[in-house]
Amino acid sequence: MERFELRRQDLSLDDDQQAVREGFGDFFTKQVPSSLVRDAEPLGFDADLWQRVVAMGGTSMGLPEEAGGDGATLVDLVLVAEELGKVVAPVPLVSHVVASRLLARAGGADELVAAAAEGERIVTLALQPVVGGNRQLVPDAAVARDVLAWSGEGLTLHTLAEPAAHVPNQGSTPLAWFDPAAGESALLATGPEAEQLFRTAVAEWKLLTAAALVGIAASALQLGVEFAKSRRTLGVAIGALQGVAFPLADVVTELSGARNLVLKAAWYATHEPDARPELPLAAFVQAAHAATEATWVSAHVQGGLGFTVEADISLFFLRAKGWSVLGGDPGQDRRQVAAALLAAV
Amino acid sequence: MDFSTVELTPEQQAFQQEVRAFLDEIVTEEVHEHERRTGDGFNEAVHLALGSKGWLFPAWPVEDGGAGLDRVCQRILALELLRARVPGITASTTGLVWAAVELSADPELAAQLKPEVAAGRVRFCLGYSDPEGGSDIAGATLRAVRDGDEWVLNGSKLWTTGAHNCQYTFLITRTDPEAPKHKGLTMFLVPLDSPGVEIQAIRTYGGERTNAVYYTDVHVSDRHRMGEVNAGWATLQGPLSAEHGAGRPDDGLSDIGILMGTREFEDAIDAAARWARRTTRPDGTLVADDPVFLDRLGALVVETEVSRVTPGLMGRVKSSLSYIDGIAELIDLVGPEALLAHGADGAIEGGVIDYAHRFAQGTATYGGTTEVFKNMIAQHVLGLPRLSLPGSKQFVR
Ligand SMILES: Cc1cc2nc3c(=O)[nH]c(=O)nc-3n(C[C@H](O)[C@H](O)[C@H](O)COP(=O)(O)OP(=O)(O)OC[C@H]3O[C@@H](n4cnc5c(N)ncnc54)[C@H](O)[C@@H]3O)c2cc1C
Repeated sequence: MERFELRRQDLSLDDDQQAVREGFGDFFTKQVPSSLVRDAEPLGFDADLWQRVVAMGGTSMGLPEEAGGDGATLVDLVLVAEELGKVVAPVPLVSHVVASRLLARAGGADELVAAAAEGERIVTLALQPVVGGNRQLVPDAAVARDVLAWSGEGLTLHTLAEPAAHVPNQGSTPLAWFDPAAGESALLATGPEAEQLFRTAVAEWKLLTAAALVGIAASALQLGVEFAKSRRTLGVAIGALQGVAFPLADVVTELSGARNLVLKAAWYATHEPDARPELPLAAFVQAAHAATEATWVSAHVQGGLGFTVEADISLFFLRAKGWSVLGGDPGQDRRQVAAALLAAV
Repeated sequence: MDFSTVELTPEQQAFQQEVRAFLDEIVTEEVHEHERRTGDGFNEAVHLALGSKGWLFPAWPVEDGGAGLDRVCQRILALELLRARVPGITASTTGLVWAAVELSADPELAAQLKPEVAAGRVRFCLGYSDPEGGSDIAGATLRAVRDGDEWVLNGSKLWTTGAHNCQYTFLITRTDPEAPKHKGLTMFLVPLDSPGVEIQAIRTYGGERTNAVYYTDVHVSDRHRMGEVNAGWATLQGPLSAEHGAGRPDDGLSDIGILMGTREFEDAIDAAARWARRTTRPDGTLVADDPVFLDRLGALVVETEVSRVTPGLMGRVKSSLSYIDGIAELIDLVGPEALLAHGADGAIEGGVIDYAHRFAQGTATYGGTTEVFKNMIAQHVLGLPRLSLPGSKQFVR
């Protein structure tokens, strides 16, 4: 492995990327107060907000121009996903964008791709390979009639008359059991090509989810820091005490690393997809860790209040794990990261 | 955003070849052996050879003793020096101190020193840390008292790395013990051959040599004062902020954050990965095929990837602490072979993991401890309030 490669290490955003970040940042901050997140529980879906996300271009931007999209890159998409995570917006944007891109790449029917771009049909992706008739929990399947899944036979589009029944869960996400035998199915691709399409989509899902988890971590941190500045003990702000300040310093360190690794992985996936295919997985591992640590530390800094349903940190704490767990055990990703190193040294 | 391979012009390519060929020639096995033996972070022959090329201060114009390199060539040189494992501690302290010399020294003295520093004949070390406590730099106790055109120094410093290979130390002294803590300090560039200076070796289990330096009635001319009397804190900030990575051009040709030991950690990880590919367990299975091994190794790789992109001050904390945690884990993964010393029967790649484990521990301390950096992150990144302690503003002993 070339450890001394002469590559640039430039994480700065250009004007367009800056505009994406600010545009979606403003949008989500204004449109998604914590009351809206609470009102959308337990399903975790707000249909009005979804329409506004569609109007912002959220569902179409990541599709190629031929498919009615704007050809936004994964770098743009992770910027959007981080802003979504900052407010834990109850919309299935990550799965939908990833599944729509997969559908377009796999040659899904034009009408369906167009309806997905318009946000009229919500599509999602089964993240684990289908084995036999085994059912699996699929993110956002409680609001999506269309589920893309991969098995030994190939990549298949499964379509139900109605989305499957919601299963209540800790992260208040629109989770549902996906039964590969239910509804209609259409084979889209087979062989190694199908597997490659599937693996790429899973990596994209993990990358965008990693970005959303960075957003969760950032908001959790902000809540903790604000509390630490105003809450007092022994005549000083608690944030002046190292026992409080250091864990918060650790959180901003972990989350800054996670954010930059997400961006770096998105750059590689966009410009040199074959060079570092393991980076999205590494970013997911780190972001899941950062969000877990950030939400716990922030809750704890807020003392007993941080343990109450009423405190906004509860929304972030419950989703940090509730969202990251959908991607499966990060141990699986760590093994792939190690395998990539073993192949390179 | 840009992580692309830098396209080299034919001139830059030729420069890269030149650097590689030159380093191949001067960085011999004997140089590595010398470094293992002394832990000096310095090799005089190599340092002078680099100076003869203008590569100690590569951005300086050729007429000043530099090499007039553009940013890409500077990066090429920096990477090749790392690749060749050129001992570079004294080169780096000299560079840090030069920033202060240029800003604060008597211009005539600076002009006189410049060509010598560029050639490698004059070198500087950092005399910041007091025996009583290095984290509180502004609490320095070593006394300097004015005596006509001279100053008389009494006291001691610990951890003056490279003092025995340097001509001057950039010394922080107390000139007014009655003044508020930060207002009673003065910096000097003290010639280390002055009578009354005594240098004693200190050894670390990381293999480094550093020094205790004792100052007994050492006379220094006022010409060697750096900056105004009692304005030492401002004088010192120049190189400190350079050390903390401020003011770098934003062209993607520098590291993203301050890295402490990540390269040594990666060397160890790479060696363990190669070991896993060639080593079988008693049951005949290859270590590299063991999913538990892969899971744990992958966690360490993620840590190095994160360290490399964690920005600024935070990178300093992340890289060092994840290295210290992770190298201990790596040793568990490999077993006793990991700790066989260089040259021992069965040592892995020259004892690279053994070395990395010992070396890791110091990275959390020198250059400002991880706690000192966490204080800075809390205040400057998060905007948390600073705790007011008895010695925050006053010089208390
Ligand atoms: C190999 C090596 C090379 C070195 N080279 C140089 C050199 O060239 N020049 C030089 O001047 N110095 C050098 N140093 C010194 C180094 O900078 C100091 O060791 C370091 O700043 C810590 O100072 P100290 O060892 O006196 O520990 P102390 O400052 O006494 O600290 C002891 C412990 O208390 C913690 N602590 C201290 N203050 C705080 C605080 N405010 N908040 C929280 N925790 C705190 C520290 O983190 C540490 O864990 C070197 C050290 C080593 C080990």
